[in-house]
Amino acid sequence: MPLMRRLLLMLMGLLLAGSIGWSSVHRPEQVTILMPAPFVDATADQVKRFNAENNGRIALNVIRGPRDTESISDLAISSLLLGTPPFDALLVDVTWLPKYVAADWLQPLDPWFDSDDIESLVAGAQLGNSVDGALYRWPFGADVGLLYWRKDLMPEPPQTAEELIQIAQNLRAEGRVKEGFVWQGRQYEGLSCNFVEFLSAFGGTWLDPETGQPTFDSEAARLTAHWMQQLITQGTSPLAVSNYSEPETLQAFKSGDAALMRNWPYAWAELQSESSAVKGRVGVSTMVAQPGASPAATLGSWGFSLLRGSPHQQATAEAIRALTSPDAQRDRFLRQGYTPTHAALFHDPELLEASPVLPQLEEALSIAEPRPITPLYAQMSDLLQRQLSGLLTEKRDPDQAMDQLQGATLTLLRSAGGVS
Amino acid sequence: MNGLLALPALLLMALVFGWPMLRYSWLSMHASSVLTGLEPVSNQGANWIRLLEDARFWQDAVQTLRFAALSVGLEIVLALAMALLLDQRWRGRGVVRALSLLPWALPTTMMALGWRWIFNTPYGPLEQMAQSAGLSPLNLLSNPDWTWLATVMADVWKTTPFITLLLLAGLQTIPDDLYSAFRLEGGKTRQALTAITLPLLTPYILIGILFRTAQAAGVFDLIQVLTGGGPAGSTESIAQYAYLNAMRFLDFGYSATVMLAGFVLLSLVIFTAAVLLQISGLLRPLKS
Repeated sequence: MPLMRRLLLMLMGLLLAGSIGWSSVHRPEQVTILMPAPFVDATADQVKRFNAENNGRIALNVIRGPRDTESISDLAISSLLLGTPPFDALLVDVTWLPKYVAADWLQPLDPWFDSDDIESLVAGAQLGNSVDGALYRWPFGADVGLLYWRKDLMPEPPQTAEELIQIAQNLRAEGRVKEGFVWQGRQYEGLSCNFVEFLSAFGGTWLDPETGQPTFDSEAARLTAHWMQQLITQGTSPLAVSNYSEPETLQAFKSGDAALMRNWPYAWAELQSESSAVKGRVGVSTMVAQPGASPAATLGSWGFSLLRGSPHQQATAEAIRALTSPDAQRDRFLRQGYTPTHAALFHDPELLEASPVLPQLEEALSIAEPRPITPLYAQMSDLLQRQLSGLLTEKRDPDQAMDQLQGATLTLLRSAGGVS
Repeated sequence: MNGLLALPALLLMALVFGWPMLRYSWLSMHASSVLTGLEPVSNQGANWIRLLEDARFWQDAVQTLRFAALSVGLEIVLALAMALLLDQRWRGRGVVRALSLLPWALPTTMMALGWRWIFNTPYGPLEQMAQSAGLSPLNLLSNPDWTWLATVMADVWKTTPFITLLLLAGLQTIPDDLYSAFRLEGGKTRQALTAITLPLLTPYILIGILFRTAQAAGVFDLIQVLTGGGPAGSTESIAQYAYLNAMRFLDFGYSATVMLAGFVLLSLVIFTAAVLLQISGLLRPLKS
């Protein structure tokens, strides 16, 4: 080989090695977060801003996951099971957290978020983020169950369970509306969310807060089961609600066919859109409660969790903080209607002007009720959904259904070692 | 020598079929859930004892089998009629042939979502028709006794084209000479169906049944989207139950047990069917 050629090759090699070395020094730290598609769109601007501010230091990438809650759970779990997921953090639903912690997939966020940070959150957003005293999730938005009512059909929203039936029945009898009360009765997680609110209306809770035992044998649970069945047998709610999830419920209310609706905050913007038949005639309240019982709003909401094996923990925590900053939340609320988590934003004049229902949202968040915080939640909820679906569609005896549910839940907890 | 040539195929089978089966069998003898930190811990067959006593599994098994039996049965009958029609020469046949494949070309989740709105009370077209006919609301997806028929209906709509295609291909292998000869011998056109068409089509029908039964017994996406297993768990399939245990409950030991038990049940059904077919002599044309 001629000398010149050899020298040229050596020079090229040196250049190559140098450029690799140079770029690895200056290559920004790559942070990747998995989110459901709608949140990817909602955060697109904030991601862009974060990347501009941290130019050359951190590069935040967002993976666009499926839209549906269950599908994104499947995707996340599949990649977590395989060991080295291609992301550093992900958005998790409030009910997944204990399961993910039990599977040892998450890293506590305590080093990055302190008690002052937590106290700056609105009441409802403070719940459901910790397991056994460690913070594993930082809330992305606040989400609770609401009662939507038609201002043109009633002067005030109903306050008690009986009043709800009465108002709805009167309106139907007068022929002023086709259906009374629509909610989510399909056999899926939404049914459990509705049940938590109905149960609270009669003064009950799913698990005893002291002992952790199920309380479906309580008077409150029986009354709730009877009431739910009554809603359908007496015609306050159409039998069709037993197959309604959120979209069907919203459709019934939005088209003006129903007087009352249980749904999440996202429905508000939809009801104010041009395609809504009830635009400007809708009020927002919280679920009814019997005298002496306190109303509850089931806590939904997504939050960011950091993965245990992530090699970019500091940078990921910075990204999470940026995406949940008050500014980011204000932005998302004004543009897409995502309920903020930052308490001060609920009294922000600009936000109040944009949405007249912000005070009602804050009120609902002050009575937010999390679903049972246990790694076995998915099984417990599945048992509940099957019994309730039978109650609504088969006219199963409510007392018997609650007894069976109590037995089945106890068996589950016992076999898993949760209750002695 | 012949055995050697089959070796690559056998190896592939062992890899994609044998290994997972072995792995599932092993897993079904272990507890592996969030409570064991997702590490497999031997539990002396506790999963299988639980399965035998699990009323939900047996209910799902019955549902899966009746779903498969009815939908495959209906699909064969409808597909046969459609294939015979599409095999005739008439104007516009090509367009209709192409159109008839459309349902099969749709992704199952999309069409299931579509059917969910078709069955919707009160906005779905079926309800609207019932309403204008003066009937009370049908509530097709809210009846634990009847909702499974709605899932069958959606499945039949979706997969009949697949069998039609199969049978149409079969029809085209039957030489026209046979029909000419049959007519020359004085046979009536109507008799040709039972004397020539059906016997020669039998292998294709059997293949159709086999393919579709295997598919229908593993039904998941259609039911997951259309009913989510409801109402009151009445439409849940074995595959759905196994999925719930694995992906939602993170109980992999029991999920493997459910999946394996479903496989054993299906094998039993197919084995019985094969023996019955053997006895009845329907398989004879396949061998000639």
